[in-house]
Amino acid sequence: MAHPQHAAARRGRSLASREALQGFVFVSPWILGFLLFTAGPMLFSLYASFTNYDITSQMAWIGFKNYDTMLNHDPLFWKSLRNTLYFVVISVPLQTAAGLLLAMILNRRMPGIRLFRTVFYLPSVLSGVGVYVLWMMLLSPSAGLVNLTLSWLGIDGPAWLTDPAWTKNAIILMKLWGSGSMMLLYLASLQGVPSKLYEAAELDGAGRLRKFWHVTLPMITPVIFFEIVTGFIGGFQIFQEGYVMSYGNDPGAPMNSLLFYNLHMFLKAFKVFDMGYAMAMAWFLFLIVLLLTLINLTLSRFWVHYEGGEQ
Amino acid sequence: MPFKHLKKAFQLTAVASLVSLLAACSGGTSGGPAAAQADAAANSGSGSSVSPEGRVVLDYWTWWGSETRRPIIEKLVDDFNKSQDKIFVKHSYYPYSDIFTKELAAVSAGNPPDIMMNDINTVQQRASKNQAMNLSKYVERDKVQDRFFPELWNTVLYNGEPYALPFNTDTRMMFYNKDDFKEAGLDPDKFPDTWDELEQAAQKLDKKHGNTYTRIGYSPQFNSDWNLLQLNFDGGRNFFDESGKPVVNAPAKAEALQYILDNAKRLGQKNIDAFKADFGSQQANPFLSGRVSIWTDVTNFYTQIRDYGDGINFGVAPLPETKEGAGHWSVGGGFVIEIPYGAKHPDEAWEFLKYMTDVEAQTYWAEKNFDNVANKEASNSSELMSNPVYKASVENLAHTKLTPNPLNAPDYMNLINPQRDAIMLGQTSIQDGLNKAQADVEKLVSGK
Repeated sequence: MAHPQHAAARRGRSLASREALQGFVFVSPWILGFLLFTAGPMLFSLYASFTNYDITSQMAWIGFKNYDTMLNHDPLFWKSLRNTLYFVVISVPLQTAAGLLLAMILNRRMPGIRLFRTVFYLPSVLSGVGVYVLWMMLLSPSAGLVNLTLSWLGIDGPAWLTDPAWTKNAIILMKLWGSGSMMLLYLASLQGVPSKLYEAAELDGAGRLRKFWHVTLPMITPVIFFEIVTGFIGGFQIFQEGYVMSYGNDPGAPMNSLLFYNLHMFLKAFKVFDMGYAMAMAWFLFLIVLLLTLINLTLSRFWVHYEGGEQ
Repeated sequence: MPFKHLKKAFQLTAVASLVSLLAACSGGTSGGPAAAQADAAANSGSGSSVSPEGRVVLDYWTWWGSETRRPIIEKLVDDFNKSQDKIFVKHSYYPYSDIFTKELAAVSAGNPPDIMMNDINTVQQRASKNQAMNLSKYVERDKVQDRFFPELWNTVLYNGEPYALPFNTDTRMMFYNKDDFKEAGLDPDKFPDTWDELEQAAQKLDKKHGNTYTRIGYSPQFNSDWNLLQLNFDGGRNFFDESGKPVVNAPAKAEALQYILDNAKRLGQKNIDAFKADFGSQQANPFLSGRVSIWTDVTNFYTQIRDYGDGINFGVAPLPETKEGAGHWSVGGGFVIEIPYGAKHPDEAWEFLKYMTDVEAQTYWAEKNFDNVANKEASNSSELMSNPVYKASVENLAHTKLTPNPLNAPDYMNLINPQRDAIMLGQTSIQDGLNKAQADVEKLVSGK
């Protein structure tokens, strides 16, 4: 009945659209999951941040009141933001450097190197409250291993977790212990640096430092960049450390020096049921992290080197 | 045709993802009555011969999963299940750290447990936010109010109506090592009556080896702190007065801080901190291991002395008072049993609440856990009272205050504690710190 040419064209079109349809069908579980479990709750929380939502009894529109309270009337908001920023700004570069240094040390051929790599990676597999309790013992002022070691060197160690001047530094120090996962990525990228580049540099008379500075470092900048971006994002989410390692069961103690942004948010949400306020805090944090990531991306143009030229 | 296979594959994928979605949805709650019964049947393996068939199954959440407490709670549940044929209570254990957020989520999803143990100091908060059920019609009908100590009953009232039943409570007392007292030349049968006397006695109990303390007699910072002492110094008044006005910088509260600072000055804060930090890293409690002679704790600390104290010769006494007649005020906490808002079988759940707060169950609970219970009659049972420590704890309840969180400032301690820390660290004077805390709490209360 139909014209053979038309039929062929229709078959062609329908093959393409069938393929497209099948594609959508295959990704649909993910899209559905995203819409239901991520996008839906996100939109809801954005709406709730403009209400006095307390989970079980009320949800009335109160405009920007939560945001106003947050920025102008809650001293603990700024305190927690400052604590978190302090942690991120010091911890992220330190961890990046430590991970890289560790990778450099472990990137060599020698007997038993696999064992060392495993041992250094191990701490990043462990996580949670057990590790924090362990560190609370290690950081104990008189009987802890950290101060004991310091005392052998003639140093009178601080009261790590009781002196508010030291608490955040103690957490930063502890976090260095978990640089193993970063180390792993650096190790992989170090081994991906083509050996011909080193050979060429050697021919040009470059020493170890020059080789590192002019070959290794530029070649692994994409990984460094990745670590910094994810480090920032992860750093802003610090929570458990302040909750578990605070002194005497007061979350964030002493003197709120460990009251991190997410901890403050958690306490507002689940201790006093001020969920609307907590959601406003969450969205504010989202904006901060988004902004910082954009800045990071912009700056990356000046120092991140991608093999194979501009993409 | 390959397309047919694809179609089949798609159908399978769709079904699989749907099933996993459904499974995820029902993960938190038990999937319908059938699953609940299956669960209950599985749970009743803990010694019960009662079957839930044909009964209303109630879900009862607690965090009592330890080897000591779980058998006690399950025995009580089992006895209840055996006692009648209409209701079957199923005990579910969740860790303490998760259970309250889990309950909150379940309540807001409209599918809460039927019975829940909860914190005594936050009943009003939950009542005001529709998280707990109003029990006044049951209480009026069954007249259970007189079972309880009035101080405890007050904590469950919101706008004059009950939203829970008090279950247990505790009170802080002084445990002291009588042998240490003898060794230091103190009368082992007489605990210091005032705080000044305590400080003098503590000096005699201290032991030093060179520059380090091997034993510290007493520090108010050991398992206690200003939050306890301020109430004792202030005639049993917490941080708010009768009319709800904050009194954080009242003179008596400053005196309590001064007392703690004087003690710290004498012992050296560094020594105290070292002791405190080491507590956590040692298996034995510092009182049990002989490193501290006077220890503040809730009265069921007695069970630890009994089980791990290695025959330690101890005494128990109320907290001292500021001066003769000022009162040996102490602080208590505890738990309530309540019906979450939206529970499906409140009538049946109420039967269980009544049973759990009645004399028999409460006496059993008190005997096994050495807890102070909310039921007056059970608390005064002659068998329990024959234990001198239990007797002392019941007597101590007469001057024990509970400190429920005020509705308009539930997180006020977050503003007070940092100032307390700053004062303790010498970063601000007592008066400045307390004035700052007072101003912060006032601001919080006024909601500006």
